[in-house]
Amino acid sequence: MQHLGVGIGWRPEIDTVVEGLDGVEWVEVVAENICPDHLPDSVRRLRERGTTVVPHGVSLGLGGAERPDPVRLAALAERARALGAPLVTEHIAFVRAGGPLTGTPALEAGHLLPVPHTRDALDVLCENVMIAQDALPVPLALENIAALLRWPDEELSEGEFLAELVERTGVGLLVDVANLHTNHVNRGTDPASTLDRLPLEAIVYVHVAGGVERDGVWHDTHAHPVSEPVLEVLAGLCSRLCPPGVLLERDDDFPPGTELAAELDAVRGTLTGTRREVRHV
Amino acid sequence: MSDSAGRTPAVGVEGARQRLALAQTALLSALVASTPVPGGFDPARIRVQTVALAAKRADIVAKVAPELPVILGADYRPAFVRYARSRPLPGGYRRDALAFVASLLDDQGGPAQPPGRREELASWWAERSGPAPLRAARASRVLRRLNPRTTLRATRGRAGRTPA
Repeated sequence: MQHLGVGIGWRPEIDTVVEGLDGVEWVEVVAENICPDHLPDSVRRLRERGTTVVPHGVSLGLGGAERPDPVRLAALAERARALGAPLVTEHIAFVRAGGPLTGTPALEAGHLLPVPHTRDALDVLCENVMIAQDALPVPLALENIAALLRWPDEELSEGEFLAELVERTGVGLLVDVANLHTNHVNRGTDPASTLDRLPLEAIVYVHVAGGVERDGVWHDTHAHPVSEPVLEVLAGLCSRLCPPGVLLERDDDFPPGTELAAELDAVRGTLTGTRREVRHV
Repeated sequence: MSDSAGRTPAVGVEGARQRLALAQTALLSALVASTPVPGGFDPARIRVQTVALAAKRADIVAKVAPELPVILGADYRPAFVRYARSRPLPGGYRRDALAFVASLLDDQGGPAQPPGRREELASWWAERSGPAPLRAARASRVLRRLNPRTTLRATRGRAGRTPA
């Protein structure tokens, strides 16, 4: 798997901050927020410096019941080409429902919702992934999402579901360690047991992000600093196999560049096993 | 049986699609349209997820229509969450903002609005519900509230239309 190194999510609100951070080897952009004909100046400058840019989609809904929309797939493919990206990433999630298969109005979630870990959902997801792979010019990798709720009557664990998805489709994995922590708090899924089941060689990179616990529920806000339990899941992964890349996600309540730099240092320390306890902010 | 890329295509996926569609629609409908919680789900978690979806929608609407949190102040978020609880996203966040304001204007039984707010909301709605862009006079008023030193040379807008 291609080495990516340590990166950060590029967002318009922190564009020049990202450009000024030392040691950022790559960035991810939200695919739907990028116009391939008019790349933001900041993204263009990063590209000219040789920084790898990976488009990260949020609207395909590959875990939905419908086949993926060819127009959305073509848009993602176009962004991958415009950015010269080595791969594209999306989520294992459904984002809309209703419509022709149900005889009800189409509904948009406006967010990523968990797919049930059932045979039906896995069969549909695998076919959708293969349709997407055929439409994309570069390899696809999929991210495990954070869930507030769990489906009843699931037939597979998260680890089994992901392992079989990879085995049947050859899709890459983007492992979000913050989401593993989220699912630990919210659904009682032990991150270690999920990691034990995963085909680790399929991991293309890892997401790290901050969240907050309220009333026993972990909210994966991407608006708080990365906390110790999330870095512990990353350390647990690294003790098995060091991932080819790690990316820090921050989507709101943007701190100064110095704080983002400190979080990136904590990530690097975790990767090399030299991290000290992070201070609690 | 593998395809040329070494993958294993599923057989008979249509039935699975139909079953999955019904299950996902029942869940999403409970989350965004206040339909009954499907069997087996934890109703408390459904409520948490419902509020989280509405809160995220409120954040995005506040970005595409920044005047609304200014007009509504601290009432913006609770009012939006109340609106969103039973009204699915109507195809885009600008339309969501318009539908939200229309719901406030229609809501005779809702919480009492402070003096003048109804008129401000009606004016906001009227200026955005047609094909023409925001009139300069209105833009100027909103900008002045955001930053009192801002001045914008402006002409009076056309007469507003009433919400449908």
